[in-house]
Amino acid sequence: MSLALARASLAVRSIFVFALVMSAAGFAAAQAPAFTPRHEEPEEFPEAPGREEAFYGCTACHGFKIVAQQGMSRQRWEDTVDFMIRQHKMPVPGAQEREKILDYLARAFPEQPAARRARPNPFLKN
Amino acid sequence: MRRKPAGKIERSLNELYRDDPERAEALAFGRKTGTSRRGFLEGAGLAAFGAAVGGAVPFSGNIPAGLFPAAFAQGTPPAAAPAPAPAPERRAPQLLTFPGKDGNLIVLGERPLVAETPESLLNDDTTPVNKFYIRNNGQIPETTRDADAWKITIDGEVNKKLELTLGEIKKRFKPVTMRMVLECGGNGRAFFSPPARGNQWTNGGIGCAEWTGVRLADVLKAAGLKSSAVFTGNFGADPSLSGEPGRQALSRGVPIKKALEPHNLLVWAMNGKPLELIHGFPVRLVIPGWPGSVSEKWLTRIWIRDKVHDGVGMGGTSYRVAVRPMVPGDRPDDKNFRDLESMPVRSIITSPANGAKLAAGTQQVSLRGAAWNGDHGVRAVHVSTDYGSTWQAAQMGKPTNKYDWTRWTATVRLPSDGYYEIWSRATDSRGVAQPHVSGWWNPQGYGANPVNRISVLVA
Repeated sequence: MSLALARASLAVRSIFVFALVMSAAGFAAAQAPAFTPRHEEPEEFPEAPGREEAFYGCTACHGFKIVAQQGMSRQRWEDTVDFMIRQHKMPVPGAQEREKILDYLARAFPEQPAARRARPNPFLKN
Repeated sequence: MRRKPAGKIERSLNELYRDDPERAEALAFGRKTGTSRRGFLEGAGLAAFGAAVGGAVPFSGNIPAGLFPAAFAQGTPPAAAPAPAPAPERRAPQLLTFPGKDGNLIVLGERPLVAETPESLLNDDTTPVNKFYIRNNGQIPETTRDADAWKITIDGEVNKKLELTLGEIKKRFKPVTMRMVLECGGNGRAFFSPPARGNQWTNGGIGCAEWTGVRLADVLKAAGLKSSAVFTGNFGADPSLSGEPGRQALSRGVPIKKALEPHNLLVWAMNGKPLELIHGFPVRLVIPGWPGSVSEKWLTRIWIRDKVHDGVGMGGTSYRVAVRPMVPGDRPDDKNFRDLESMPVRSIITSPANGAKLAAGTQQVSLRGAAWNGDHGVRAVHVSTDYGSTWQAAQMGKPTNKYDWTRWTATVRLPSDGYYEIWSRATDSRGVAQPHVSGWWNPQGYGANPVNRISVLVA
């Protein structure tokens, strides 16, 4: 990030953060949320290039746990990202970022046989 | 007053993330506006977002506000550092922690909150609320203090648009109570191979509760359906995951013929008590036998459409199966799909539990289970202890109505100590039984209903 851009983002984010603090004050007076999802970190998931891009690209809307549950070929991951863009208004990633996201998803969560995922043998120790 | 001094601003961000990450993200990054999202998540924006969220916990305290953007700048991920290929991992299932819910429900996702019920927790004839599965497509809305003031609109292809409060609905129409199955459309998805996309339900997206409400048909008749009425469009108050105003988390519907079926209810009580918020308080639809997604929670509106409803979750490959069977794992042609309507026949063994250890010398095991089907009743359940080589019939209980599940029992003999699988297979009233494998693959994984299998060890 260039210095000028960093400064610009400082100004913009200061406003965001101020709004955040003010809203948090108001929010405290309202009732507690029904459920607070656990805070996830990219480091909880398999390490490979593109992890940050994939994590933040997906968690803008939903938890990463649902992502990590999947096991798909690269083509199907690509179809899935397109589905998220088309159906669920995912922000369109830049070409380079898209590749990184897809590389990561295909590598970290590849296709695997159903039996292993759905019903591990309860008596098998390893 | 929780307002923090200026020097602690970044800590407030952390706190809010910890307390409610979704809200924090929306507030901090303006995702609710819908306009700043796109540019923000690309390039430098991604790095900034990464630093803010990923770095949220380590900041934890005393960094002056002025340093905050520096942290943003540092957040650029290391470029293409060679990383080891991830090892395939199997984590222990994450157990649910939620007020009023059994701690043995298994979390499939937290945002949105989705949790399935292990089969052995479905051993009650009526599923207690604390064991009932949770499926959300969006955020959980805030609760309402005055349930009876909740408004529902019936509009579109009707002679008389209705705007009724729940209180008026309770007074004006005759309440009924019926025990009926509610099942997630994706139940069984985890049995597909190759894996289908979505929450990896095994058989636990199912519950059978006593629902109290008024018939949807009575309400629709009061509004007067026009001859142009084709479909319902169901709307709820749950905000979408992105928080974008006006965007539905989910909005599905059913053909008018199904909507008028007398088991469909506008429900306000579950097992004799007001609905829990997580199940749709103060009022929800229950349209039994079809994917649970048509049973809108936090119901606000039923829009009678003059065509097939086109809300969120309709069309494409969502809640849909292939018309011409497709090659498993292949790319779908959206024109080759139809809505999944009646849910397929399924059985579960609810006792003993999968993984039960039986004392050495045990030769006989009593089984309990449940079986159900969408619009078609269950005729029989058979069980096997030899991988389907031989089957014996189970004793069938009597369902209380067309959409109740059938409880069943059986006693099986095990010839020696050792490892066994016990299988159950239901057959519907038309003679259609559960298959041995999940066929009819589709990309989002609907309709997987292979025979149920549990493992026991006699030792």
